[in-house]
Amino acid sequence: MINTLTRTGAIQVAFAIVLAVSVSAAMTEISSAEHVPPLSGIVVGVETDSNGNLTRFAVSDSTGTVNTFTIFDGTEFGLENQVGDRWVSTQGAEPMESARRLRDHRERFAPITVTSENGTAFSVVEREEGKLETNLGYLFAVFAVTWALFFAYVLYMGRKQRVLQHEIAKLKGTIGL
Amino acid sequence: MNKVLDLLDPLLILSAALMGVALYLIFIWVPTETNQGAVQRILYFHVPIAWGSMLGIFVVSGSSFMYLWKKNERWDRLAVASAEVGVVFGGMMLLSGMIWARPVWAVWWTGEAKLTTALILFFIYVAYLMFRAYFPPGAQRQRLAAIIGVIGAIDTPIIYFAANLWSQAHPPIITGPGADADSTLGSDLGTVLLVSTLAFTFLFIFMVQTRYKIRKSEDDLVELKRSSSASVMTGAS
Repeated sequence: MINTLTRTGAIQVAFAIVLAVSVSAAMTEISSAEHVPPLSGIVVGVETDSNGNLTRFAVSDSTGTVNTFTIFDGTEFGLENQVGDRWVSTQGAEPMESARRLRDHRERFAPITVTSENGTAFSVVEREEGKLETNLGYLFAVFAVTWALFFAYVLYMGRKQRVLQHEIAKLKGTIGL
Repeated sequence: MNKVLDLLDPLLILSAALMGVALYLIFIWVPTETNQGAVQRILYFHVPIAWGSMLGIFVVSGSSFMYLWKKNERWDRLAVASAEVGVVFGGMMLLSGMIWARPVWAVWWTGEAKLTTALILFFIYVAYLMFRAYFPPGAQRQRLAAIIGVIGAIDTPIIYFAANLWSQAHPPIITGPGADADSTLGSDLGTVLLVSTLAFTFLFIFMVQTRYKIRKSEDDLVELKRSSSASVMTGAS
């Protein structure tokens, strides 16, 4: 009797632990999925099936990391063309048009913002303004490289001029001018 | 001390002073652009350098034309000086553009119209200088180089209007006669760009002037060496 009760209790405890762990894991997954920040970047790849329907696309963010996204019928799009007209639709409604619009963005290097969960894109829209990182490293690189080269060139010219003038003075002395 | 004083040309002082003002405006005064953030400040360097590069080919072309017309050595010297400084500015333009493109477009380079025509301009400068370096000295070299210099200028308006002619990734024209009213800069951004452009223009003029003096000294040296060997020959006979 005691053994049966102990066994039943152990099974219940084990079940409770498994349930707790599963719920915790599921909650963590949901929680982390909810907290995936939208990714902004440039479209670098668009994949379609044999009918020309969009199946996957890849986005490169400002650090150069390429992220691939799958889509589903509910994926929402809000993309603008060259003149700023916005096209709003879903993958289920216009699967070919979504591929065409993303290709257009790839060719124009027009940035987009993707909201996703576990690699599946939920919304693909024109990049939200002000989300790009500061990229101070690139700014520093431009100023540093430019100034270093300009200084080097000015110093090179100054040195060359002095050498030439020295040679001219020496030659003038030699031929008695 | 003399070495330092040699470098203190009024044009260099003017350029340095304006550059100081430009740096203050770029990093302290002008607000951060909302789309690109801090990296957009590269514009205030990239556009003036590109302007210097185009100014270079204009001077090469104009002075080459004048050389063909007047046959005066001074025009030829000016063309060489401007071409060499133009290569420096052209190289800087490409480099700053590539570094800017990486965070904004996610690529270092693309076969886009404006970029391709700018690269062609750089190659025109390089070809001009290579031709002068490897072709035997003399009037024929100067004449042919002048023809390359004049023809090379054809690329300049193509670069300027490329973004409008082929609507691609590069932003449209923001200054000059080709600028669209919708894409011009705001007054703050325009002021910074103007000051920076002036600073780089003076730097360009200083560099061309210095390179011109070097070229003059090189010609003088060749002439002196010729006189020297002639006097040795006379002495020997």
